[in-house]
Amino acid sequence: MRAQKTLFEPGDVSAAPSVLRVRPAPPPPTGPGSEGQAALELDPRELWVAAHVPHLSLRALPRDESGAPLVVLDEARNPRIIDADDEAQGAGVRVGMTLGAALATAPHIDARPRDTARELALMQRLAGIAATFTPQVSIEAPDGLLLEIKPSIRLFGGLKELCRQLREACLADTVLARGGTEPHFTLAPTALAALAAARAGARCFITDPRQLPARLKLLPVGVLRWDEDANARLLGMGVRTLGDLLRLPRAGFAKRFGPARLADLDRLQGRRADPRRRLARRERFRTRVDLDHEIEDHDRILEVLRPLLDELEQFLRSRQRGITALQCRFHHYRAAPTTCALRLAAPEADATRLQSLLRERLANVRLPEPVRRCELRGGALTERPLASRPLWSPGERGHAPANEMPALIEHLRARLGAEAVYGIGCVSQHRPENAWCATEPALAPVVSASHAGAGAGDVSRSPPFRRPLWLLHVPEELDTQRGWPRRGGVLELLAGPERIENGWWDGADARRDYFVARDARGARFWVYRECAGARKWFLHGVFG
Amino acid sequence: MPDAHEKQLEELLAHPSVWRGRSRAAVETFPTGFAALDAGLPGGGWPRHGLVEILTPHPGVGELYLLLPALAALSRLAPARWCTWVSPPHEPFAPALAAHGVALDRMLIVRTHLPLWAHEQALRSGACEVALAWLPRASPRAVRRLQLAAEQGRALGVLYRSQKYACEASPAMLRVLLEPLANQHGARLSLLKSRGGTRESIDLTWASAAAA
Repeated sequence: MRAQKTLFEPGDVSAAPSVLRVRPAPPPPTGPGSEGQAALELDPRELWVAAHVPHLSLRALPRDESGAPLVVLDEARNPRIIDADDEAQGAGVRVGMTLGAALATAPHIDARPRDTARELALMQRLAGIAATFTPQVSIEAPDGLLLEIKPSIRLFGGLKELCRQLREACLADTVLARGGTEPHFTLAPTALAALAAARAGARCFITDPRQLPARLKLLPVGVLRWDEDANARLLGMGVRTLGDLLRLPRAGFAKRFGPARLADLDRLQGRRADPRRRLARRERFRTRVDLDHEIEDHDRILEVLRPLLDELEQFLRSRQRGITALQCRFHHYRAAPTTCALRLAAPEADATRLQSLLRERLANVRLPEPVRRCELRGGALTERPLASRPLWSPGERGHAPANEMPALIEHLRARLGAEAVYGIGCVSQHRPENAWCATEPALAPVVSASHAGAGAGDVSRSPPFRRPLWLLHVPEELDTQRGWPRRGGVLELLAGPERIENGWWDGADARRDYFVARDARGARFWVYRECAGARKWFLHGVFG
Repeated sequence: MPDAHEKQLEELLAHPSVWRGRSRAAVETFPTGFAALDAGLPGGGWPRHGLVEILTPHPGVGELYLLLPALAALSRLAPARWCTWVSPPHEPFAPALAAHGVALDRMLIVRTHLPLWAHEQALRSGACEVALAWLPRASPRAVRRLQLAAEQGRALGVLYRSQKYACEASPAMLRVLLEPLANQHGARLSLLKSRGGTRESIDLTWASAAAA
């Protein structure tokens, strides 16, 4: 033991090579298949399950009662047959025939164009089931599905158990079962290998990358789905299987077929990373409840909605998501359904809060008839930042305010309408009525240092008492007495005139002389006189 | 020995929960920006939370100028909470507010036919530092509700009302009457109710506000 330890002492230079020589040297690289075998790790980093739906285009088409042999055509101008069912094949129809040739062979066939939308819907349904096992699901158009399952193995009680459950879940689905769409499953350490084996319909359940070449050897070249030209050339070279293909010299292969194909082969064997895009599922929450009896009372309606909202909360919490829009539909006996839509300033998932907002919103909704059915439709799911509750109440001990502002804005908007609540901002315009704008309240936390910059702009440098704090929505015309403005009594002009002449280009031409005026009671106003026309006096602002 | 007893008594009386008629209540305050006013108000400034009533004979006396320095400073605090304006009589003119140093992105305007409800929501939410409201009328009960909401949400509620309500009892923490000055741009301020503030009236000119 002690002797062995000294053997690995760093200072002992002579011992190191003798230890290394025990390992067999890696075989010299001969072709695209065998180079860099040592790069593969014993423990696969990824495990891919591929599901291939054979005859998808055929299965996606709805069967009619006539029971005529079904043939699927592609979308080309001169349609060719891309798939045919057993009966049609029995009658002599082959894939690749033109429609004319097929009709000549078997006149009673039912030839239909492929329905890609239905095919995609079927695959998405399958992906939806698969997504309950792993988040990494991608559809390999048109008829393949890939799942990376390595991280889920422990959760589902082992690899075999996971695969069994996945298979059963897919077979148990009614829609998939009705079409007779039974996918073929394979397991392999690389995505492309699993997919190739699934397409070939071969049995493949391997986790060890070292077994991969042996398993792939017998698969036909066609499973890679390269284009016709490449396949024909390979056939001309006498390459029929992946084994033949992997034996070709790398440099020559890349020269003849391009580097993209070589990269495909590397991905097939796990020598090159093969990231797949995750399928983003568009999920919506939708539920409804049919009532035993009609109800009219808003409180009762809210009571009925409560379980639905709880269900919504569960749905959102399990996904760590929130919604920013919620629609409530109330169905009546005769009248059109009443909708009551809720828009939220920040993603929300809390049933109690949603209920209180709905209560405010419902207060403004008039129901034409009693309600027979309630329906709840959630909007798009959005990321909801999860925050822990603060120890101090907001504002206390300098604690940063948490999420009260979005809540307040939603609460006010639910009752008063969206346009009743707004923020204000400056616009660099000379006409006072255009110099401000109503904005959406800035909910994102703002660093206080930036306050002076963005919002205020040049205006903050203007002297503080030049402009009034209040601006009238519509300038108020003033009475005049011998040419001077009156409001209660004659106004005393303190400062001015300041001419604002602007806006001839947008139709709201303004030429005004502004004055600061004071009335008999000491209130200060901002008044102006038109420079053109009747030269009337108007009150435009109040120095608050 | 009598000195020691006196000292103990002083310590006892300095406790915030002991309030004596002439003493200044221990409240958390914020400077108003006017040195003369700070000296007259209990605690040396506007209360940080609670309800303040500002009564004016007619609008345009300077009721907003009175608050602007405090508003500007509060809207620029490090974690700034919001300032809500509930049913203001006209449109707050953004460039003028910005010129006075108010951070516009913390302002929220609420136009409503339910100003009492909206004001209470704003005060209670805890999201607002200040909530200003212009109410046509409010019963003492409603004002009491607002005062409680302001204490709960730790916000400063400001209620602008007409001078004719000056004789009504009010549960507000601080009541201020503003009257215009004859020949200056300012106002005369009298404290109608304050917990330990001065009784005299204070003349303020708006331009004298300390730079925020």
